[in-house]
Amino acid sequence: MEETVENLIIGLNDGVISPAASLAMEAHNSPSKLFLVKKIRHLSVVVLAFRGSMLPNDWFGQRGHSPFGETKIDTGKFPSVRSLNDGGDAVVNGSFLWRFNDVLDKLSHAKELKKAIEKKRQVVFAGYSSGGPIAILATLYFLENQTFSPRCLTFGSPLVGDRIFSHALRREGWSDYFTHFVMKYDIIPRIMLSPSSTEHEQILNYFKSKLDRKNINPAPPSGFYLTVMGNASSVASYEACHLMGCRNPSLDIIKSFIELSPYRPSGTYVFCTGNGNLVVVKNPNAVLQILIHCAELGESDAAEVEKRSLDEHSAYPNELKDSLGGMKAVVYLDVDPANDLGLSPQAMLCLQAAEEFENRRSRNLENIRTDRNYKEKIEDQLEKQRKYKENAQISRLGYYDSFKLQKEDADFHANVSRLELAEIWDEIKEMLKEFELPDDFEKKPEFIKLGTIYRRLVEPLDIANFYRHSKDKETGAYVISRGARPKRYRFIQCWLEHHEKKLFGSRSESLFWADVEQLGIDIEKKGYLQEIKDRIHQLERNLIACIGDRSLDDDVLLENSTFVKWWRALPLEYKSQSDRIDNLIREKAAGV
Amino acid sequence: MKRRRMNQVPLFSSAGELANLVVTSNLTDISWAMILEFRRGQSALPCSVQPMVYDPTPNEPNRTIVVFAPSPDSTQYALSQGGDLVPCPEFDFLCTKGCPSVSINRAALTLFTPLYGHLSALKNKLNKREGQLIITGHSLGGSIASLFTLYLLSSMDKESKCRPICITFGSPLIGNFGLQHSHWNSFFVHVVSNKDPLPTLFLPSGRSAPTSSHSQATAYKPFGTYLLCSELGCACFDDPDLILKILTVASSEVAGGVLQVVDYGEILRNLKNRAICKGTQPVGERFAYPFSDGIVMELKTIGIDPAKHNIDITRMEAEARALAKKTNASDAKELNDIKKYMVMLEWYKKKSKEANKCYYDCFKNGDFQRDVRIEEFVGQLTTYWEDMVAQAERKPQKEGASFRTGWLQSATTFRRMVEPLDIAIFYRDGGRDYINNGRSPLYKLLQKLYDEAAKNPPDSKKKNVSVLLTDDSCFWAHVEESILSCQSLNHANSTPEQRESSWKNLVKFGEYVTKQIENFAVSPEIFLEQSTFMKWWRMYEASIDAFRNFYTSPLVNFMKSHKYDDYGLPEEA
Repeated sequence: MEETVENLIIGLNDGVISPAASLAMEAHNSPSKLFLVKKIRHLSVVVLAFRGSMLPNDWFGQRGHSPFGETKIDTGKFPSVRSLNDGGDAVVNGSFLWRFNDVLDKLSHAKELKKAIEKKRQVVFAGYSSGGPIAILATLYFLENQTFSPRCLTFGSPLVGDRIFSHALRREGWSDYFTHFVMKYDIIPRIMLSPSSTEHEQILNYFKSKLDRKNINPAPPSGFYLTVMGNASSVASYEACHLMGCRNPSLDIIKSFIELSPYRPSGTYVFCTGNGNLVVVKNPNAVLQILIHCAELGESDAAEVEKRSLDEHSAYPNELKDSLGGMKAVVYLDVDPANDLGLSPQAMLCLQAAEEFENRRSRNLENIRTDRNYKEKIEDQLEKQRKYKENAQISRLGYYDSFKLQKEDADFHANVSRLELAEIWDEIKEMLKEFELPDDFEKKPEFIKLGTIYRRLVEPLDIANFYRHSKDKETGAYVISRGARPKRYRFIQCWLEHHEKKLFGSRSESLFWADVEQLGIDIEKKGYLQEIKDRIHQLERNLIACIGDRSLDDDVLLENSTFVKWWRALPLEYKSQSDRIDNLIREKAAGV
Repeated sequence: MKRRRMNQVPLFSSAGELANLVVTSNLTDISWAMILEFRRGQSALPCSVQPMVYDPTPNEPNRTIVVFAPSPDSTQYALSQGGDLVPCPEFDFLCTKGCPSVSINRAALTLFTPLYGHLSALKNKLNKREGQLIITGHSLGGSIASLFTLYLLSSMDKESKCRPICITFGSPLIGNFGLQHSHWNSFFVHVVSNKDPLPTLFLPSGRSAPTSSHSQATAYKPFGTYLLCSELGCACFDDPDLILKILTVASSEVAGGVLQVVDYGEILRNLKNRAICKGTQPVGERFAYPFSDGIVMELKTIGIDPAKHNIDITRMEAEARALAKKTNASDAKELNDIKKYMVMLEWYKKKSKEANKCYYDCFKNGDFQRDVRIEEFVGQLTTYWEDMVAQAERKPQKEGASFRTGWLQSATTFRRMVEPLDIAIFYRDGGRDYINNGRSPLYKLLQKLYDEAAKNPPDSKKKNVSVLLTDDSCFWAHVEESILSCQSLNHANSTPEQRESSWKNLVKFGEYVTKQIENFAVSPEIFLEQSTFMKWWRMYEASIDAFRNFYTSPLVNFMKSHKYDDYGLPEEA
C-alpha cells in the first residue's frame, strides 16, 4: 500500500513537509529569533518553526543532577499527560521543558498565530534538532487547551518524554498529530537514550561549532558511536525483553543495577532510508526497535557509519525534497520494513514481538467486550446488585445497612456478587498496569460508564464490609489510608474525573458512606471538635450536591439508615444545612 | 476454529535480548574491571584468598563491590583437591524437598572453609548496607562469590535495604542443589565462554579431575542465569537442564586438553561491539515460528546446533507457553476466587446455624447441598493450598519459611473451616481413627506449621466467640471417636478391658473439651441441640448413669447445669 506521507498525517495538506523542513532548518540557524513563521498561502497553512540550541546545558540541564536530565511534566499546563492508574505523571526532559516555558509567552501572543487561528488556517509547529522538542511541547500545550488542533513536524528531533508521555498521547488520540522524520543513521534522535557524557558534549560541540560558522568544517569527533549506541541498545534490549514476554526473574534484578534512559518515542515516525523511500511507523514500541536496529553497524564500516551519523543530521531538507518529489511512502505493518531499512533477523524478531504485543492488547480488549466472563458478567452482576438495592428499600433500611448486617440470604448473595465483580475489575486493573490493554481503554465511554455505575453501586458495599469487620483498626480510615480503599475504585474514579476534566478527587461521591462511618468513629473517639464540625458541614454539602446530580442514590435518606439515625442524633449546632437535609429525608419518606 | 487461532499466538525467546542487555549495561564491565584491579594490587600476596571490599565512592555513593579473586597458586592448589561433592551442613538452609542434603565441590570448599569466620563478619557488615552490592569473582573466585552470596541471602530479612547481585566469570559448577523455584535464583549471573574449559571441569564428559567420581559429578546442578557466549554473540538461559546440556557440549568441543586462560575482558568488549552490529547476516524476513526460529538462532550463536545435540525445542516452547499464562492479572483472579469460596463456606455455616444445626452435621447429612456447591469449593480450596504448600517446599528452607508466614493465617482459617467437612465424610462413610487413618498430609503440615509459628499461645480472651471457628480442626474427629467409645462401652459383647479403655478415652476427651471451653477455643455451635457433640453428650450421660453413677467432672457439671447456654455470650448478658 502506497500513499503520500501527508495523507498519513491526519489533516495535513500535501506539500507542507518540505517547506516546513526548510523553515525548521532556517530557524535553527537564526540565533536572534525564538521562532520563524511562514505562511504557505495557497495551502492555507501557517508554519511556526522553533529555534534549537546546541549548548549541552540546553539538553541535559545541570550535569550531575541526573544523567538524563528528566523531570516530571508540569500537569498544570499538561493535565492529560499522566497515567490514570499507578504510573504517575509523565517525565520529560527538564531542559526542553524549561525552554518551552521560555517560548510559550511569546508564542501565545504571536500575532501570526492569533491570525492563523482566527482565519482557521492549519497551524503546523515545526522544529529541527532540539527545536523539535519545543514544537512537540507547543503542539501538546494547544491540544490540551483545545483552542485549536495544530500539527507537529520535527526533523532529527531528540526524544522528549517517557513511556507514560507516549501512552498519554495515544490515550488522548493525539499521537497522529505528531510526525517525526528521522534519517537512518542520524545520531541526535538516539542521543537521549544514552546518559549525558563527554561523548554527548563532543557531539553537541561539533554541531555548535558548525552552527557558529567560526569554523566552516570543524573536525568531527570520533569514538562516540559505540558508547551512545551501546547505551541505546540496552534500552532497546530491555524493552524487547518485555515485548517478548521474558520470564527470567533476573531481568528485574539486573534492571535495578543499571540506569536506563527513561525516554521513549511517541507519535508517528517517518524513517528516511536513504534510497528515497520513507517508512512510516506508528507503533512506539516498533519505533524504538527500528531507531536502534536500523542504525546498527555492518561488519567493517564503523568509522564510516559514525561519520554518517553526524552528517545525516543536516541532511533533512535535501532528503525530504528528494523523497517527497513524487516518491511514495511505505507503511509498516503492510509491507516489511526490513528490506528498506536493512534490518537484521534479530531486529525482525523484535518488530514481530512489538506487533504481537499490540495484537495481544487488542485481543484482550476484544475479550473483555465479547467473552462471557467480562463485560457481560459485569452487567449481569450489576443487575443483581440493582435488584438487591431495590428490595432493600422496602425495609426502609437501604442496601448499605442491610448489607452491613448480613442477616438475609440476599445480603450473602450480594456479597458473593461483590466478590465476583471485584475479581473482574481487579483483573482489568492489573492488565492496565502492565499496559496489556490498548492505550485508550481508560478513555472509552463504554468503560467509563460501566465503571462509574459499578463504583457508585458497589463501593458502598466494600465500605460496609470494611466497617463491619472494623478494618479501620488495622489499616486506618477507608478514605485516607492507602491500603484500605481498593485501587480498582481509585482508578475508575480517575477515568471519570479525567473524562469530565475535573480535579482529581472531586468525584468521590461513592465514598459518602465511608465519610459517615469515619465521622461516627472519630466523634466517639475525640468528641466534637472544630475539625469534626468542618467535616460535618462538608458532608452536608456533598450530600446535597450528590443527591442533586443523582451521583449518590437517595436511599441514604431512608428512615432507618445509619446516616439518618446518626444525623438526627447530631447536636443541632453542628449542622449547617439542617432544614434542607430534613426536607430531603421527608421527601424521601413521602416517596416524592 | 477460534480455539486453533488462540493456540497459535506467537511466542518469543528473549535469551538473546536479555544477554544483550547485560553486556551493553556496564554491570559485567565494572565487575571484570574490579577483578583486574584487585589482581594488580594482589601480586604482593601470592597466596591470598580473601576478598576485597570496594566501598562506595563519591561517584558511586550507592554501590559496594566485593571481589573474590584467589591467587593463581591458591586456585591451582584448590583445583588439585578435585571436584567431588562433599556434604556441607553449613549450607543446609538450601535444602528443598528434592534435595534433602547439600553437597558442594571440594575445590570450592577448600577455598571457602578457611574463610568462613572472616566471611561471617563480612556478611554481617554488608547486611546493614543500603544500596547495590555487587559480588563478583573469576573461576574458583566466582564459586566462592556464589557461596558467599547464598550465605548472605540466607541471613537477610525483608527489611534489609541491601540489594545484592552475584556475577561470576568462568566459574565451575558448585553443588547438587538447585534454586529453580527460589527467588534467590534471580541474584546470580554466570558469564561463561564456550572456549573456557573451567566451568565444566567437574562434569563427566569434560576432562574431569582424576579424583572426581562420575556418579557424583552428574549430580551438579547449575543455578541462576547463565550468560553463555561465543565469538559470535551471547544468550542468557536459566533452565538448569538446558544449561547443563550446553555446558557439556561446549566442554567436549573445547580444543585440546590444556587449561587455557580465557580473557573475559576481551570477550566482553567483543560482545559489546556485536550488540550494535548487524553483521553480515542477510536482511531479516518475517519469521513463521518466532519462538523456535529465535531460539535456534540464539543457540547457534553460542555454538550449539539444536538438531545435532538433541535439544527439544518443542518442549521448551510448551513450557514457555504454560509460563506465559500466569500473569499478575491471573494471580489477582485466583486470589479473589479463593476469597469467594471461603465466603460461600461461611455462608453455609451461617445457614446451618440458622437451622439450629452445626455446619459439620449439615454437611454430614447432606443438607442445603443444592444451594451451595460446597464440595466443589472444598476441592478448589484444597487444590489451591496444596499448590501453595508445594511451592514453599520447592524453595530453600529459609526462603520457604518466610513465604509461608505470608499466608499461614489464611491457611489456618482454611484448615479450621474445611477439615471438619473432611472429617464428616470420613465418619459418614464408616471410617475409624481419622487422625491416624484419614487425615491428609496437607492438614498435618498446615497444623505443624501453625504449631511451630504459635510460640506464644493465642490470647484466650473472651472474644466474640459466636463467629469464631473451632481452633482445633480435628475437634469433630475427637467427638466421633468418643461416640465410638460410648458405643463400645455400651456394647454387650465388649470385654471389660475394652470397656476400661473406652472409659479412659472418654475421661480424656472430657478433659480435652473442658480445656477447649475454658479457652473459648470451640465454637458455641457445638452445643446446638442436634449436633453430633450433643448426641455424644446424651450417650455419655446415659453411660455415666448406667456404669459410673455419681461420676463427675468439670465437663459433666458444665453440661448438666446447662452452662453452655451462656457460653460465648457477651459478658454483660
